[in-house]
Amino acid sequence: MSIATPVFSAPIAPVLGRIPGNKAIWVGIYCELTEFALMFLVYFVARAHHPDAFRGGPQQLSTLAGVTNTVIMLTSSYFVARGVMAMRRNARATCLKWLTAALFTGMGYPVVKFFEVQWNVAQGLSGNGEVFQMAYYYLTFNHLVHVCWGLLGLMWVMFRTWMGAYDATDHDGLEAFACYWHATDLIWLMIFPLFYVLP
Amino acid sequence: MHNERSLTLAWLLLLGLTLVGAVLGNAGSPGLWVTVTVAAMMAFKGRVVIDHFLELGGAHPSIRRLVRFYAVALPVMLILTDLFGPQIAWLTTL
Repeated sequence: MSIATPVFSAPIAPVLGRIPGNKAIWVGIYCELTEFALMFLVYFVARAHHPDAFRGGPQQLSTLAGVTNTVIMLTSSYFVARGVMAMRRNARATCLKWLTAALFTGMGYPVVKFFEVQWNVAQGLSGNGEVFQMAYYYLTFNHLVHVCWGLLGLMWVMFRTWMGAYDATDHDGLEAFACYWHATDLIWLMIFPLFYVLP
Repeated sequence: MHNERSLTLAWLLLLGLTLVGAVLGNAGSPGLWVTVTVAAMMAFKGRVVIDHFLELGGAHPSIRRLVRFYAVALPVMLILTDLFGPQIAWLTTL
């Protein structure tokens, strides 16, 4: 009789049907998703009314800036996920290293955004009146605000990790932040093709 | 190590799809098939983030279903906007 040996990399496997992080963060994430859903609705209605403006829109924007910020969001999100995995192994120092990498990567987002806006203004994309530009600035600036909140949250969970507030059995705060950061990443993955890619 | 490896593969896949999407957008001309391709990539990338980063596979159904629905609803709305743009414009004209 052979005995199959299950191999688990995560010592503490997530429980089925659980709430990742805590309930409070999911109230916040639902609010964030609803807020952006309404803005996406405005985008689709505006696109239906002004198809030519939206088809020509991505050519006005810097694809490089959009791609760079997508890479930044994905990479920072990946580093946070690695940090959570390290904490599940009770590897606090490793977790802090991943979170530090996530912070420095994530801080690139507002920096790229700053240079992107400078470039936009130089190209005449000031957001005055043209429907595609208005939608673009409204949605992406709102997302930037959420990224900035996230960076502050990341600093807080780094401080808590450094203080030894989390361990393998109790790290709901860290996981709650990770959920917010990944949700913000998810929203960017919806914004990026709508403004920078789709002709 | 399996979880770390699958997470890393998911991250690399997302980076690759981002670059492919950017090239497609720059090279392609407006059309339904480009919209459908971009929408499919949006939905797929969203699902990868939901399953591998957010780890909602085993989460409470109300959370898992809503977030998964979100990542599908937006791409579907994009396709519908391309297909029925004039009708949507008519319906939303004050």
